[in-house]
Formats: sequence, C-alpha cells, structure tokens
Amino acid sequence: MNPFIESLLVFTGIHIIAAMSFYMPFKTGQVSLGQAGFMGVGAYAAGVITVKFGLPYPVGLIFAGVFTGLIGICVGFPALRIRGIYLLLLTLGFAQIVQVIALTWDYTGAHDGFQGIPYQENTFWYVYGTIIILILFFSRLENSSLGRAMVSIHEDEEAAEVMGIDVVRIKLLAFGLGAVIAGVAGAMFAHYTTYVDSRSFGILLGVEILMFCVVGGVTTYWGPILGAAFLSLLPEGLRTLRDLMELIPLAVTDAIPKGDEIYDWLYELLDFENEKRLIVYGAVLIIMMIIRPQGLLTNKTVRQLMFWKRPSRDA
Amino acid sequence: MPEASTHCTLHAEGLTKRFGGFYALRDVTIDVQEGHIHAVIGPNGAGKTTLFNALSGTLAVDSGEITFENQRLEMLKPYRRTALGIARTFQNIRLFEHMTVIENVMVGAHSRSYSALWGAFSGAVLHRPFAQPAVEKTMRDRAFELLDFMGLGQKMDENAEDLAYGERRRLEIARALAIEPRLLLLDEPAAGMNPNETHELDEHIKRIRDRGVTIVLVEHDMNLVMGISDQITVLNFGEKIAEGSPSTIQSDPVVIEAYLGEEEVL
Repeated sequence: MNPFIESLLVFTGIHIIAAMSFYMPFKTGQVSLGQAGFMGVGAYAAGVITVKFGLPYPVGLIFAGVFTGLIGICVGFPALRIRGIYLLLLTLGFAQIVQVIALTWDYTGAHDGFQGIPYQENTFWYVYGTIIILILFFSRLENSSLGRAMVSIHEDEEAAEVMGIDVVRIKLLAFGLGAVIAGVAGAMFAHYTTYVDSRSFGILLGVEILMFCVVGGVTTYWGPILGAAFLSLLPEGLRTLRDLMELIPLAVTDAIPKGDEIYDWLYELLDFENEKRLIVYGAVLIIMMIIRPQGLLTNKTVRQLMFWKRPSRDA
Repeated sequence: MPEASTHCTLHAEGLTKRFGGFYALRDVTIDVQEGHIHAVIGPNGAGKTTLFNALSGTLAVDSGEITFENQRLEMLKPYRRTALGIARTFQNIRLFEHMTVIENVMVGAHSRSYSALWGAFSGAVLHRPFAQPAVEKTMRDRAFELLDFMGLGQKMDENAEDLAYGERRRLEIARALAIEPRLLLLDEPAAGMNPNETHELDEHIKRIRDRGVTIVLVEHDMNLVMGISDQITVLNFGEKIAEGSPSTIQSDPVVIEAYLGEEEVL
C-alpha cells in the first residue's frame, strides 16, 4: 500500500477507535473530555512494556488496555457523583494531570518525550481488526439488556435505579470500558509514530474526539465512526480537490472574468496542511449545529438504512 | 367489608423526614396488608410523595424503620429494594423517552433476568454469532405480554415520547410490572386523566391486584380512591390523621376538617 495512504488510514482508524471510546461512557450519559488522557496512559503503558521490558507488541496492547481500564475505574468513581459541565471539567483535569506526569517522569524521558518505541509495521491490520471487534461488540451491546440499561441511565438515572438497574456499577463499567478502548488506541498510536511526548495527547485531541462524536451523532455507535472518518479524511479530501483543480484547462479560467484570481484564491483555500485542519473542523461543526444538530447519523436513520433487518412481530 | 388478611406485607414505623425546620413526614406508621389496595390521601403538601420516596428509597429518612416481608429496607439502595419486589411509578411520568415502548418495559425486566453485572455483560457480548440469547427472547415476549395487558400492544415499536398522556401513564405501570413486583407503589396514577381514562385505570388496578400484587396508591381522585381501596391512610402536614376503610374515612370528622379546611383557603 502507498505509505501515504496507509498512514492516513491508520490515523483515521485510531481516531475512529478514540471516538468509540468516547461513545462508551456517553451511552450512560457521561461526557468525557479525558479520552485523550486515557490514550496517553495507554501509549506510555504499552511503551514501558515494549521498550523497558522488551516484551512483544500484543502484550503491550493488552497491558495498555488493562492498565488504562483500572485508571479509568479510579477516575470513574469521583465521576459517578457529578454530571454535565462538572464532569467535563473533571475529565479535562485528568487529561491535564496525565500530560504533566508525561512531562516530568524521567523514567519515560520526561520533556524529551518517550523515544525509541518499536515500530509496528502491521499497525494498519491491528487498528482495523480492533475496529471490527468494537463494531461487533457495540452491535451486540445495543440489542442487549445491558445496553438498554445503559441507555435508561442516560435517559433518567433515578427512574433507572428505581427500575432495579445498578446504576453505580453500570456507569463504572461503561467508564472503565471507554478507558480500555482509548488506552488501546493510544498504544497503537505510540507504536506507529515510535515517539510520543506530553503534547501527543493534549486537551486539543480530547476536544477533537468530542467533535468527531458530535458531528457523527451520538445516538448510535455508527455516528462516532462516521464522524471520525469524515473529519479525519476531510482535509485530505479537500487537498485532493485542489490537486484536481490543476486539471482545469487554462481556457476555462481565462473565460471567466477574474478567473485567475478566483483560481488562486480557491487553490490557496483548499491547501490544508496539518494545523489548518482545525479551521475545517470548526466550520463543519458550526454548519452541523445549524443544519443538523443531532449529528450525521441517528438511531432513526440507521434503522431506516437497515430496513431489511427491522425486527417484526408476526404472531 | 371483607375481613383483612392478617399477613402484613409492608410495615413502616415512625418514619420522620425533616427539611430544615419543616417536617415532611412526622412519626408516620403505615401497615399494608397483603393483597390489598391501600390508598394514601391527603391535601397537597401532606407528605404523600415523600412517603413514597422513603419507601422506594430515593429519599433517605431521618428516623423510622421500614420492613418488607421481614426484610429491613431503610439502609438499602433503591435498586436493591426493587430486587426484593417493590416497584413504583412517578407522579410526573418518568419514562425513558427516546426508547421504544417495549424497550421501556424490557428495562424493567433487566433486574429479573440478570442479577449480576458479569451475567449481564456476558449475556450481552459473549454468545454464539447470529443468535440472540434465550433470555432476550423471554424478556421480549414477557414485555409484550405486559403491554398487551395494559392495552399497549399496538404501540410497542413507537418511541415513548410519542404516546398520548393516558398511554404514558399505562406504560409506566407496565414498566413497573416488568419488575414482577409483589408491592406496587402508584403515585397519582389518575392525575390529568379524563373520567373515561380514569375508569379504565380503575379496571387495570383491580386486575393488577388480582395478579397477586399488593398496591399502595397516592391519589386525589376521591371517586377512584373510595371505589377501589380496601384501606385508606390520611396524611396531613406530614402526620397520619386517620386510617381505616373507605366508609370510616368518609365519615371521619378529622378528615373532613382537613379537606374542608383546605377548601376554605381556596
């Protein structure tokens, strides 16, 4: 595979996994801006396993998942009692703490960053294999009693508890699983870039993950997947559009008054280098909030798309 | 009047709940006989809903004890009480609005199908491909049966938020029945209903009682209360002022004064 395309798809895939890690606790109504922090924990945990202990990559991935999950449960306990904007701030604070530890912990290179993480050449397959496992996981969860219990907690926590749902444990489970998923994503990221530092998993990444989910829609797991894929590929898509502009014959621009200037302006506009992608994200977010605040995909649209397997009762 | 059975399902004694200097409940004692429809009435602010919250566990009482079938309840969290067989509805209907009607009922059945989180997790995720676990099918059938019982079978795939008012009330009851309760607490089930709907509700409540569920209900509709109750407890300003059969209550001077006193203020 073309290495450029491959790296684009790998990062898109990691974004998709990260977006699903946001969706997991969100199913019970917990909004976390700390998923980037969990990715950081996973990245460093896996790095310690492969670099410091010399153990194989899969061991690193599993350890990253388990370790991040435990950290997630620890963060989940205080998160149980608070919600809304306060939970956002708590998780944001957690992501900050992770950054500061990464910046100051000498064992993993402190401010020099964690270097020399072994490169995993099959990352593409690991990433997309994980995505398939997660899709299977979420599709089963969605149609299960546990999944319904989670949604009921999101809808009305007190009513759910009175209906016999063990709200505390299910919320902790959801938060912990979200952390596991994020940790694995971070571990795969680290073994693809071979270098991570405190800035790799900053607040901005947490906000981006939130954006993936908001743009894609959060009533079904397909929303975050689509949102992450769409926003990650959009800047490259626009750049491709620019490259295609070069195919426009000169005669066309000459024919339009001020054609040259428009052409140059568009050409400049569509040139999305890495940092400029945030402009696209911001614009997409604003447009989405106006024309489709519920996100690209909702439960209803998915049900309509899957009309052939709509459950029916003919008795 | 039929002779009350001697077996007492729910016994609450000396329940007291203070909000600052205000007593929402003051030394309230209530005995609910098995198989009865037991109404709790009283003017607005008498503490009826507070009593319900205390019984279902969404509100901790300051003192007093609650016993349900020889189990002490005061220290148990709401979901533990539900597991023991106590279900409730809310005065302001609290459905899971964005879930379908049948899903709402299936949430009620969750605690009956899976007692442990691991069971629920493995039941959700670890099963044969292309197959639904048998538990899931049982839950769905049972939920459908309850919807049918409450006259909502046709609406199973609609979102709860799209139902008409009376249907929403009935769905809340169906959801509570999915818990397979032995005690059902109904908080103003007839509020906002027209006489026709109230009459239907009356029938439903009796049929639920006939299924072997003991019912405690808070209600303002006196026709409904006097018609179906075996026993009535009257609260006023957080205190129990009278208790007895509908005919005793109707002629009790203290009760009449409590209600007429309110009429005068209006």
